[in-house]
Amino acid sequence: MINRRILVVDDEALICEMMKWAFTNAGYEVQTAASAEEALELVKTQKYLVFFLDLNLPGMNGIELCRNIRKNNPLTIAYAVTGYASTFEVFDCREAGFDDYFTKPAEMKTLFQAAEQAFQKLARWSRNE
Amino acid sequence: MRVLIAEDDLTSRIMLQAVLSKWGYDVTSASDGEEAWDVLQRTDAPPLVVLDWMMPGMDGLTLCRKLRAQDRADPLYILLLTAKGESNDIVRGLEAGADDYVAKPYDNEELRARIGAGRRVLELSFEVAMRQKLQGVLEMAGAVCHELNQPLHIVTGYSEMLLVDLKESDPQAETLRIIKAQVDRIGELTRRIMHITQYRTKDYLGGRHAIVDIEEASSEAGGMK
Repeated sequence: MINRRILVVDDEALICEMMKWAFTNAGYEVQTAASAEEALELVKTQKYLVFFLDLNLPGMNGIELCRNIRKNNPLTIAYAVTGYASTFEVFDCREAGFDDYFTKPAEMKTLFQAAEQAFQKLARWSRNE
Repeated sequence: MRVLIAEDDLTSRIMLQAVLSKWGYDVTSASDGEEAWDVLQRTDAPPLVVLDWMMPGMDGLTLCRKLRAQDRADPLYILLLTAKGESNDIVRGLEAGADDYVAKPYDNEELRARIGAGRRVLELSFEVAMRQKLQGVLEMAGAVCHELNQPLHIVTGYSEMLLVDLKESDPQAETLRIIKAQVDRIGELTRRIMHITQYRTKDYLGGRHAIVDIEEASSEAGGMK
């Protein structure tokens, strides 16, 4: 049975708290990290299938983080959740391996749909291998 | 483009006004330095000025110096006209703040060319200023929106989740819906602001101030470049 584990990465604690509470209420298992470095440590110890990453992180940014996660875990789905919308950012995100791109403020409803679609896709992929 | 001429001799002034008008300039005339100074204190002062050096009262050189000593918001291009032709007078004129110098009696075509050069300089100035204003607006917009979107995301999430738990008929649900609608409004605004592509302003408080017209400034139909 596939896990429903999500990793949320955002340097603002209140955002992590809100997203964790909301996703948990919606039935997912959620962990949070305040930086890319912290996230990479967590990824070593646990298997996460879906990621919601802020792009503007201290130290390594969200785009680099996505590249790193993708490199070692290709069967995962990563979503960018960013406070700044620019067309150049979307291009960089696609290139780094993000599956979709959301701008803040994003409705949790939208992010729930994205998470659900992600897990369905992953379940389909693992059945096909 | 609007030009101010300051020339005390009536005939010269009339001729100058005539040729400048013929060349397409919108001419304002002053018959001495004081009058020219007053015209240049107005908020709609012409950016291009043709000054005669030898005038009674305040002469062209003095007027030049006074204008350059002023802290002016907009660029001013000064062309000095004079019967003197010695090279040290040219130096004095330029050092006093004139941008160019035409000796009388002048050849009309030379005058036309030199004024044309002044107009080019001013137009370039305006273009650069406009680009820098837009750049400033974009930099500010990016910073402000990015900061605002963080707390907006938190408030949106919580009000959305609280509404899920309340029954439709609950009076608190209505209040919360209104709160969420306002937060969504702010979110729409930050989205618009982040898509500003032009510098556009509108009047605020009856023309006393100008503020960026967010709708006009972000209405570029270009889409992604």
